[in-house]
Amino acid sequence: MRALIAAATGLAVALVLVFTITALGSPAGETSPKPLLTTVPAHP
Amino acid sequence: MRRKAGLVLLALAVFFAALSPLLRWYAFPRLAKIPANQYQDMVLEAKDATLLDYGTMKARKVPEVTIVQTLKGNVEESEKIEKTAGRDVVVWDGLSYVVGPDGKMVSKIPERYIFDAHTQEPVHATGEMVDGDPVKRQGIEFKWPFLTEKRDYEYFDAQARVTAPIHYKGTQNFRGVDVYYFEQTIPWTKVRFPKTMPVEGITPESVAKTGTTRWYTTVRKFWVEPLTGAPVYGEEIHKEELRGGTLLGGREKVTAFAGHVKMREDYIDSTVALVKSNRTLVLLMTSYLPWGFLALALVLLSLSLYLEARGRRPGDPRPTKDAEPEPVNA
Repeated sequence: MRALIAAATGLAVALVLVFTITALGSPAGETSPKPLLTTVPAHP
Repeated sequence: MRRKAGLVLLALAVFFAALSPLLRWYAFPRLAKIPANQYQDMVLEAKDATLLDYGTMKARKVPEVTIVQTLKGNVEESEKIEKTAGRDVVVWDGLSYVVGPDGKMVSKIPERYIFDAHTQEPVHATGEMVDGDPVKRQGIEFKWPFLTEKRDYEYFDAQARVTAPIHYKGTQNFRGVDVYYFEQTIPWTKVRFPKTMPVEGITPESVAKTGTTRWYTTVRKFWVEPLTGAPVYGEEIHKEELRGGTLLGGREKVTAFAGHVKMREDYIDSTVALVKSNRTLVLLMTSYLPWGFLALALVLLSLSLYLEARGRRPGDPRPTKDAEPEPVNA
């Protein structure tokens, strides 16, 4: 019974961790202030 | 105490064993996406190209024509579209700016490309356009999906505004990176004149009145890193002609542009470096971590079973008592 509880705890923590990370995602940030280029840049 | 440690190890073993497939098949498809605020520029060159001189309306050889391509993620627009689309969307405002050998503008074509941040499938929304004309893209443009497959894809051609297959032609090694090589041929197609012409006073409408039409063909080549879906190199054998009408002074056709367009060397280096680092991130999510976690889970499970087995074995040998002699039958 104790082994079953331990296994279930491990599984639950893994699920919570993955769901939380994917739900948080990554922030979209802001649109770059740099313009669309109309001159040839010297380097990347 | 030993049994408690065994249970903790078992819990950890199950934790990592569960994390392994969850990371690969649940988290990766949701976390791998193109950032909405990405800004990137690219310079391509066509050496010894042919270019139309609009003053004389004759084609001439020029040492170089440069194409500056910028893609800028429009975060505000993507957030607006996400509300109705119900998925992560990227809006790229792009500009292809072509510069002649004298540094003057040859053409400039803006476009807006809207697509799913995870799958790169096009998303249709108001504002999607090429050179100011509304379009409804099918297929991909600029970038392949994550975990690109060895198959043909549908690729959108912004000049002809058509979608045509881009064929998988094999696996190659490009500067230390294993890549899939794709090729698309757009046959001679009548296309619109750019809204912004290189000579002041000439507009697409005024050219159209002369009866002259613009035709275009290209062979498009991409070397794509399959894990990230990012092209590390690209080439185009591009030809444009003006045909018929009074503008050509009785000639049947004149070359407007012909050249073998290739990525500039410094941009190839930076693209390869960027793709290599992003490739490692994808590998981490799809291979290194899932397999690592699985191996760790097996080790932890073995340790847990070992501790459990030792916990059940008697610690010290008990003193042996002299057994009572059993009665023996005669």
